Amino acid sequence: MKNDKGKYYRRIRMAKRIVSHIFLILIVIFSIFPIYYVLLMSLSPLSNLSQMTIEKLIPNLTYLTTNNYEAILYHYPFLTWLKNTLIFSTSATFFGVLMAISSGLALSRMNIPLKKVILYMMLILSLFPFVIMVIPFYFMFSELGLVNSYTGLIIAYSAGAVIFASWLIKNYVDMIPKDYEEAAQIDGYTRTGALFRVVLPIAKPVVIFALVLSFMGPYTDYALAGQLLTNPSMYTMAIGMYYVSQGTVSMNYGTYSAFAVLMGIPIFLLFFAFQRYLVSGFSIAMYK
Amino acid sequence: MVRKVGSWSLKSLLFILPVIVVLIFLDFYPIAYSIYMSFTNFGEFHFFNYSFIGLENYIRIVKSGFLWQLLWQNAIYAFGSVALFAPLGFIIALVMNQRGLRGKTFYRTAILFPWAYPAFITILIWQGMLDYRFGIVNELLEKIGIKPIYWLGTPGTAMLSIILVNLWLSFPYYSYVFTSAMQSIPSELYEAAEMDGYGPIGRLKNIIMPMLSRQIAFVVIFGFIFTWNNFYIPFLLTGGGPGTSTQILITYSYSSAFSYLQFGIGAAYSVISILVLLVIVIIANHYSKMMTVLY
Repeated sequence: MKNDKGKYYRRIRMAKRIVSHIFLILIVIFSIFPIYYVLLMSLSPLSNLSQMTIEKLIPNLTYLTTNNYEAILYHYPFLTWLKNTLIFSTSATFFGVLMAISSGLALSRMNIPLKKVILYMMLILSLFPFVIMVIPFYFMFSELGLVNSYTGLIIAYSAGAVIFASWLIKNYVDMIPKDYEEAAQIDGYTRTGALFRVVLPIAKPVVIFALVLSFMGPYTDYALAGQLLTNPSMYTMAIGMYYVSQGTVSMNYGTYSAFAVLMGIPIFLLFFAFQRYLVSGFSIAMYK
Repeated sequence: MVRKVGSWSLKSLLFILPVIVVLIFLDFYPIAYSIYMSFTNFGEFHFFNYSFIGLENYIRIVKSGFLWQLLWQNAIYAFGSVALFAPLGFIIALVMNQRGLRGKTFYRTAILFPWAYPAFITILIWQGMLDYRFGIVNELLEKIGIKPIYWLGTPGTAMLSIILVNLWLSFPYYSYVFTSAMQSIPSELYEAAEMDGYGPIGRLKNIIMPMLSRQIAFVVIFGFIFTWNNFYIPFLLTGGGPGTSTQILITYSYSSAFSYLQFGIGAAYSVISILVLLVIVIIANHYSKMMTVLY
């Protein structure tokens, strides 16, 4: 009798396992499929979408080709777009995160007049999307002669990154016990020195998170760049991708896929390289 | 003496000065500028000689009846997205949190793909996949006997496509939030529940749900706030079409300004979008006290 019951429970557990695995495998297919699909398209000799059939979803190694990559590299100003994107992204990340580190540390550890007001403002502003700023920025920068200039967009992107990043760093540093700095001060560090030499290294996860987040914004921004940059030699990858994507469904989908892979893979690898910082950084900073 | 009292705070002001400058010149000033523009006839016909016209833009927007359509679509977009990605994230976390399940690392890594790849690109990939004639989605559906669907071509299915693509983009993050929250529940609680004879559903109802109420509130509120103004999915996937059936306030603000060159009207729509969001934040704060992170 008891044995039967044990068997019954084992079977139920077994069935639960199988159902769980089937469910998770379906979810995995759902998540990976679009990226697999575009990678396959980029390497296949098919020139347009209509030639893609289900049978071809299983790659035939003898047909794989790099033609599409050659096309995007040689027939489009891809390298110019890449250069511009990297100029905008790295400069904005550098300035934005530098400001965010200094203000995040200060907001967490120093006495600042109107601190609560500043924090409220920052929290509310970080809820607003960057797109809201496009209309006023467009006219402000036109008046200042910053259209089609690196400076204008770098200023805008740094501003876009700094508020949320300061907020994240402040929240994270709040959780670091003050004992560390106090110990460092006994060892002869100044208060500022202790903040930068001792507290900042402990806050590494959130700083890395802020770096990746600040880099991603300009890297994939079309809303502002599409309006402020009218000179093709200033175009970024996102603008290029937007134009290449228009009307490619029936033609050149392979080229477009190669573009999507070349632009996406660096971010994809960056994400996985820093995955553990990203996940912990976000959840800790958002609700401590 | 003044120096002694003031030196620390003067130094701390220096630390925060760059952010104050950014806040004033690159946040408050542009927002004020936007609000001012929304009270003018700034546009194609009054580019350099625009004038203050008071509430006229707002009156026109409210009278046109189009505002209600936009609010309705915006609400469907935000509610529909949260209603799908929050439960899916929760279920995935529940399934992955089973003791002794094999391949957890593989599953956890694989579901990160949509989060790791830039959304700007994957939205455009989905646009190709959902194409009526050539898209792979319709081809797969045909294989299992379902007639091709005009995904991006009719108002209802276009909104559905936007919500489904948003589901694909968002569920990894929410699965992670729920997984880490579930892992923080002490295992003694599960053991105690098992001793008391609770089955899986009893455990879900009496332990997991109450313990996670704060995270669930967080996901629903922030999910809604982020989706409300999430510009790129409608902008890239459907461009607001067919017609205006998938426009939301922020995309319509953008196209009013840059496609129709009605900057005053465009600014007014973005002001309305911010106001709606502020009301939602105030209500949410009243119930969940999310601003308490400040104290």
